[in-house]
Amino acid sequence: MIAQNFEYSAPSNLREALQLLGNGEAKPLAGGMSLIPLMKLRLATPEQIVDLGRIADLNYIRRDNNLIRIGATTTHYEVQSSSLLRASCPLLAETADHIGDIQVRNRGTIGGSVAHADPAADYPASLLALEARVVLVSVKSERKIPIADFFVDTFTTALEPGELIREVIVPVEDQSTGTSYQKVLQPASGFAIVGIAARLRQSAGKITFARVGVTGLAGKPYRATNVEQALEGTTGAPADIQKAAAQVAEGVEANSDLHASESYRKHLARIYTMRALAVASSRTA
Amino acid sequence: MKISGSYIVPATRERTYQLLQDPAVLARCMPGTDHLDKVAEDEYEMKMKMAIASIGGLFTGKVRLTDQNPPENFRLLVEGTGKIGFLKGEGLLHLSGSPESGETQTEVKYEGDVQVGGTIASVGQRLLDTTSKMIIKKFFEKLAEAAVE
Repeated sequence: MIAQNFEYSAPSNLREALQLLGNGEAKPLAGGMSLIPLMKLRLATPEQIVDLGRIADLNYIRRDNNLIRIGATTTHYEVQSSSLLRASCPLLAETADHIGDIQVRNRGTIGGSVAHADPAADYPASLLALEARVVLVSVKSERKIPIADFFVDTFTTALEPGELIREVIVPVEDQSTGTSYQKVLQPASGFAIVGIAARLRQSAGKITFARVGVTGLAGKPYRATNVEQALEGTTGAPADIQKAAAQVAEGVEANSDLHASESYRKHLARIYTMRALAVASSRTA
Repeated sequence: MKISGSYIVPATRERTYQLLQDPAVLARCMPGTDHLDKVAEDEYEMKMKMAIASIGGLFTGKVRLTDQNPPENFRLLVEGTGKIGFLKGEGLLHLSGSPESGETQTEVKYEGDVQVGGTIASVGQRLLDTTSKMIIKKFFEKLAEAAVE
């Protein structure tokens, strides 16, 4: 189907884009991997589109001391193939490997994916495990918020009308950190039925630091803090990992659909948490 | 699609029941709804403007309350139609005082069946469960707000 008529603008700088979005009516367009199909089905019928694709200074991956700043329109392909991220924040690059297919990775952007807040998207699990922050800008203000506060609910974020994601900030990992993203994908869409990001540090034979992000399981991505606490202080032996991973879905109202029932999803979450933790643990120095 | 769940409302059972029968309160709790127009006893029409994940649309719909048994339970029927699809739902709401809190809180349990059709159902299958849970959660959050005023 053909999308309903809309007004299109493609500003060349951020200030102009923010002015166009200032009324809160216009819809920003990044890679279009979610918005365009919705428009073609006429499920989304925005009257005004502001294309961010020509704003050169929204596309970057740069190191800033102990942080890496990733511009909103950086594509998944650029994330997965970035030598800086591969070396200094491999979890995010590894996660990007798992997103959709090559066409989606070439077009889709980190800002677009995060702003869309699909409860089964891949990035959120890793961004939560990385304790990433997002920088949100509007005509009037700029604010930086932790990713955990950004995801409010299914498809619902802390973005105010007229606000855009400018960049995502992730840490530069120290070399001792081991990470892994493990996912069961829904074959038709490539979205995660369950996706688990694990991030571990060890010192003197003990796990000193554990972060676990979960996507696909519930209405919004979350950090499994109970798993983290159960693992910290242990030696990270297979039995410790199994015991900690068993808690990942505790107290969580899991999604249920024709691809996976609630109990099957929870089962998958436990198994994949175990795998993600085991791989992350084997990668710690 | 079967739905069920429960929420705590910070008000006595009688008051919670009254709130749930009040068209002004229902309008306030239903996302994107300004007001309900009475068409018959306990039957109302409304317009809903929904926007989730850039999926948006105007729905026209109906709400009907039946089988009232105050302050314990009643049946709620909701239907809506818009360009992107239709929704038809029916549920039994059961109110009980939560014993540990004395009389100041009420547990509302719901159990029902929702049918969704049209474009939204054929392409949005992956997200119907999650999204409907979120809408119900929002409804009860707004109801809790209304209860403490």
